[in-house]
Amino acid sequence: MIRRTSTLTMAILLSTLLLASIATAQDRYFPLNHRQPTGTAGRWSVLTHPQKYGYVQPIEVQLPSAGNVTFYQGSPKNAVQTSAPSQAGMMVGHSYRIRISEMPEYPGVELYPTIEILDRLHPPTQQAQSFPIPIEITEAEIEIVMQDRMVTKVVYLEQPDIAAPFEQGKRIRTENLPVTANLLQAADERGRPMAIIRIGGRIPDPTSLIDAFYSTSPLVIPPR
Amino acid sequence: MRLYFLALGTLLIVCVGCASDGTRLLQNDDYHAPPAEMMQRPGPMVGGPGPGVLQQVSHQVPGPRGPMSPVGMRGPGGPYACPNPAMIPMGPPRGPMVMATSQVRFLGPEGMHVGWQIGPAFAENQLMAPGRYNFRQAATYRLKLTDIPGREGLVVYPSLHVYPTLPMTAAYLEHNALPLRITDEDLDQVETNNFVTKVIYLPDAKYQELAIAGVEELVSTRLLPGQDPVSEADRRGTIMAVIRMGNMDLEMPGQSGGIQKASHIQTVDGEQDQHVPPMPIGSHIGIGRGGVPADLMVGGPSAPGQPPYNPIAGVGGVPMYGYPSVGTPIGLPGPPHIPLGRPAGLKSHTMRNTTDYDMGKPVDHLLIDVRHEPGLSMPQPVKYMQYTEKHPSYSSGDLSIPAWAQP
Repeated sequence: MIRRTSTLTMAILLSTLLLASIATAQDRYFPLNHRQPTGTAGRWSVLTHPQKYGYVQPIEVQLPSAGNVTFYQGSPKNAVQTSAPSQAGMMVGHSYRIRISEMPEYPGVELYPTIEILDRLHPPTQQAQSFPIPIEITEAEIEIVMQDRMVTKVVYLEQPDIAAPFEQGKRIRTENLPVTANLLQAADERGRPMAIIRIGGRIPDPTSLIDAFYSTSPLVIPPR
Repeated sequence: MRLYFLALGTLLIVCVGCASDGTRLLQNDDYHAPPAEMMQRPGPMVGGPGPGVLQQVSHQVPGPRGPMSPVGMRGPGGPYACPNPAMIPMGPPRGPMVMATSQVRFLGPEGMHVGWQIGPAFAENQLMAPGRYNFRQAATYRLKLTDIPGREGLVVYPSLHVYPTLPMTAAYLEHNALPLRITDEDLDQVETNNFVTKVIYLPDAKYQELAIAGVEELVSTRLLPGQDPVSEADRRGTIMAVIRMGNMDLEMPGQSGGIQKASHIQTVDGEQDQHVPPMPIGSHIGIGRGGVPADLMVGGPSAPGQPPYNPIAGVGGVPMYGYPSVGTPIGLPGPPHIPLGRPAGLKSHTMRNTTDYDMGKPVDHLLIDVRHEPGLSMPQPVKYMQYTEKHPSYSSGDLSIPAWAQP
């Protein structure tokens, strides 16, 4: 009887170990990450959710204090220069190159970040322009870029029940993650990824007017 | 019975061991996405139309929707207007942005002049450090560095190999220039007859030394003897450019093999506002990504007087294989066959090649095993979902702060 009990116990223990080894798999899988080529995540977004395609999502670019934000409609010839903070409408799934310049803290510095729109907001009817995606470029980020480094940010919409219970100040709360982290996964765990912003020090080729550097995505500029 | 328990215990130890070192007995819990190249296909790991492929959405842009509709130009209640309706694309956005150039930023020494080879001559003084230039990718250029501060008379002719964009480096190259600084140490090495190889690469996340993404640099003179900077950089990440420097003078007068200044060749000098783009001295176009030859190998003639590229025997002026141009089949001059002032009397001429020969038999069937490490593994398709909404309920005065948002 004792032998039979011990055999049964061993069998149960063994089965439990085997099941544990099988069941402890990852719960979520993220094939995309922020290091993939610009446009990949946006393209996947509209391919998997075709209903998002065609929606023009307002965004607002904010600089450390003041400066100019230039949007490009296909080529540098169709540049529209605005004063920060600047609003524009960008189509979900597309990537856009903008220029930021004339910042009083950084005389002579021009940066050309890209904005990749992944998702849309659902604002109250006829109030979309009151709820743009905030694209905030801070002094710390510009300092990093000027050291020949690259900054990648993912803007996400907080999930209400796990949102940080802090009052939002003038600036958006930014969390710095280790370089090995998958920013898209981190944003997805905290809410809904809306846009990827990449900032580097590359500037367009002055000798080429049809530089592939500029985006050709459709853009909507509000009348001033 | 004792033997039975011994076997059972052994099995238990094996199971625990397998589970504890990360390798599951029946199933590995790690997922590994396919290489980034495969992720750029229309569907994950799918290259064409068919069942399960993410299809292009309709070629009709949906009608006016929302206050910023590009179709309605002025949606109901929105102030936005689309300046150019023709710019509205049909179908989903195209694939990722592709930059065919890499921007190289020459950081220093400050004041150094950078020129480059343009065919049979050099374009002098095209840039002054710090300066930048967009080089077309998948090509090798010959640079000419002059007027280096503190080193009067020194002219260096490095070669710059610009690698093609790969999915791992695409985002970086779209947004950043490659910083290239020629240091005093590099120039000292060149002047003391050493060869300097400098590799600029984007490290994989696990090899990233700094907290913020950026390129890193490997220099041959700072590695241990015998270490190859190119293969070391390739192991740590993805190479974007390689510069190789020595002290060879490519413009020595009266020497063959170098670049001669001839009267018919127009000189180009950036100080006189003459600017000419560099011409590659070696192009890697046609070589697939990762240095693997393209599917189809073709050969043909190159420039007049130059050897053909990818020569194929008997085609394009390449000598037919197997036709010796010397008197003997092994390349040595043979005995005189031509009568030298006397009647021809040679009846037999026999040569025997007694070289040891062991080249192996020709291959009739080739088998190549390829393998991804780690193997591809994707989650199983979803066949069951359970959706539960949980609404937090707090009593008065309660404050819930998620762990990641703790101040």
